[in-house]
Amino acid sequence: MKSTKINKIRMRESLVSYAFLAPALIFFVVFVLLPMGMGVFTSFFRYNMKGMSFTGLDNYITMFKDEVWQKSLVNTLLLVVGSVPLTVFFSLFVAALTYEKNPVTRSFFRCVFFLPVVTGTVAVTVVWKWIYDPLNGILNWILKSAHIIEKNIMWTGDKKYALWAILIILITTSVGQPIILYIASLGNVPKDYVEAAQVDGANDLQVFWKIKWPSLLPTTLYIVVITTINSFQCFSLIQLLTSGGPNYRTTTIMYYLYETAFKRFEYGYANAMGVILALIIGAISFVQFKALGGDVEY
Amino acid sequence: MKKRLALGLAAVLAVSTLAGCGGGSTNTTTAADSAAETTAAGEQKPAEETAAQADNASTGGQVEITWWAFPTFAQDGSNPAGTYEQEIIDAFQAKNPDITVKLETIDFTSGPEKITAAIEAGTVCDVLFDAPGRIISYAQNGKLVALDDMFTDDYVEDVGNEALLNSCKSGDSYYMYPISTAAFCMAVSKNALEEAGAMDCINQEGDRTWTTAQFEEMMKKLNEAGFMGATVYCSGQGGDQGIRAFVTNLYKSSVTDDAVTTYTINDEGGVKAMTKIKEWVDNGYMLNGSAYNGGEDVDQFVAGNTAFTTLWSPGLASQRAETLTENGIEVIALPFPSEDGVPALEYLVNGFCVFDNGDAARAEASKKFIDFICNDEEWGPKNVVKTSVFPVRQSMGDLYSGDAEMNFYASLTKYYSPYYNTIPGFAEMRTYWFPMLQAVINGDSEPKAALDDFVAKANQSIENAK
Repeated sequence: MKSTKINKIRMRESLVSYAFLAPALIFFVVFVLLPMGMGVFTSFFRYNMKGMSFTGLDNYITMFKDEVWQKSLVNTLLLVVGSVPLTVFFSLFVAALTYEKNPVTRSFFRCVFFLPVVTGTVAVTVVWKWIYDPLNGILNWILKSAHIIEKNIMWTGDKKYALWAILIILITTSVGQPIILYIASLGNVPKDYVEAAQVDGANDLQVFWKIKWPSLLPTTLYIVVITTINSFQCFSLIQLLTSGGPNYRTTTIMYYLYETAFKRFEYGYANAMGVILALIIGAISFVQFKALGGDVEY
Repeated sequence: MKKRLALGLAAVLAVSTLAGCGGGSTNTTTAADSAAETTAAGEQKPAEETAAQADNASTGGQVEITWWAFPTFAQDGSNPAGTYEQEIIDAFQAKNPDITVKLETIDFTSGPEKITAAIEAGTVCDVLFDAPGRIISYAQNGKLVALDDMFTDDYVEDVGNEALLNSCKSGDSYYMYPISTAAFCMAVSKNALEEAGAMDCINQEGDRTWTTAQFEEMMKKLNEAGFMGATVYCSGQGGDQGIRAFVTNLYKSSVTDDAVTTYTINDEGGVKAMTKIKEWVDNGYMLNGSAYNGGEDVDQFVAGNTAFTTLWSPGLASQRAETLTENGIEVIALPFPSEDGVPALEYLVNGFCVFDNGDAARAEASKKFIDFICNDEEWGPKNVVKTSVFPVRQSMGDLYSGDAEMNFYASLTKYYSPYYNTIPGFAEMRTYWFPMLQAVINGDSEPKAALDDFVAKANQSIENAK
């Protein structure tokens, strides 16, 4: 009798819990899971404004043969390989330097590096567009004034520089959050461990490598995964700055996907690109979790 | 008790989340049926019958339609986008109290994507003010209501321009109702030319036509005087018709054949033009524009950083007039130079389409609204002037009498070339144009190889669209 009553109470509590979860769950299913499922489903169709017809793996086969897709994959990987390690090292470096400073200095640097994050990609890109402008850009003016270059360089229009120009912006807009996270994480490193190591005669490098770094691994994992995903999904910068040019030199998978879906109206083909991009990101994240996701050991 | 209350609140919240998913239309007659009546098998119901049907559908109450407008109408003074459009709506609603028009302004950067997404989501507007390039591609994909009943014999006779009327068609049906038109051209800075002693290179008489040799001489003088010619802009996508027209005019090439069935810009003239353009970029007559889109090219010209632009129209002249005055730049508009001095110009057509939203009453109300904008005795001519170009209806006469510059722009209509923006796969072709140009001016490809590759892809886009 008592057990039945307890079960009823538990059941009621569960129902209440589910009821509270329901709005978010419904939203998640309708606006996230369902579109994702539709994306995978329609990637097997020739799907455009006219309608849909089943084509099996045609979109995938076409994609792997598509020279522009191959270029965009290489560009995307270059951006990821270039931006992720640099973002991690630079933010760790800045965090380690500023962590030791007084609170005012620390806050100042946090603000400076976080500013591009809160400013928004569009505003930041407009500023960078002006910096890189071939005719009136400040970068050319500075370099010419310093006699480093003789004539103006077309930073975003020259095949030699365009991807580098994008990479620099990507890094500057990516380091803000990692710096904040690293500073917070450094504050969580047990002080007694650090002091014990110092008493045992460990130098600064040894203290960092043996004591602080293991504590920072979970934060590093998060930063690496998020930065990787953001770099893979680099789109706004490309759209606003280069539109994928010159001659596909800065076309990323995300930009090519957008162009395929919204300018050529080939939704099925674009969705196939999305599926492959998701698989690539998933596989790389899995490796990152395996490599960096172990328990912290001192 | 608290739990029950919480449960109830959660249920309400959950239901309200779903509320937005419900259908919003209160009308029952479907425009799909109506569209089928006007498009299928070439059979068309008489306009009166369709109108009567609409009247019946809207008898029960107010019909609400949505209008998405690109910033084509010029605003008075510093009024924000949409102010003038709202004035039109107010005037229309005063005459048609049974129709409510909701306005949404969109821009040329994100607008096209918004329309595409809305079409797929089933949330697209009823009326769109745009140009044939996009509108006819929507029609080719079966997204629009045919407007054949608006193209009465009187109207067709009044327009009297077959090429222009054809630009509004897909198959045998009309899908765009045009209001105004003008030729795209180029513009030079009089200040720069005078300073460079290059005024004798251009022709300011008559239709101001000139030759490629004169154009090259002008650039040489500008270069010697330290002026940058223009950017060969090829980033983004907007304004791509300007550079295409520039290329085709230089040595008598053409984007497509006369019947607009296949791309032909890889002909001898096209290759020669691309080779010349590459040469001009290399010797500093023109600027490699891989980093500039069409709008930015115009910005550079208006700011006085470049001496000419290959993207100009009466509309742009009107929009940029204030800045040009502030910068003290006097502009001379010119047709594109050509080998024999006879240009073949591309042109813009501003017009309206109606999306098939499955509601006949809304479709009919939309047509009524379009008719008001284009043909109302008071608002029709006024609206044409607000587009800063010329009426498609000859009966509207000269709306810019006494304006010599507008008379010049009007004179260019005789140089209209075949309108290819309605070719199937046009949207896909556009994605190949600027990369081709970038490949040539950056030295990635030889002009002939790049143009051959472009034409192959562009012709494939025609097949893809079928």
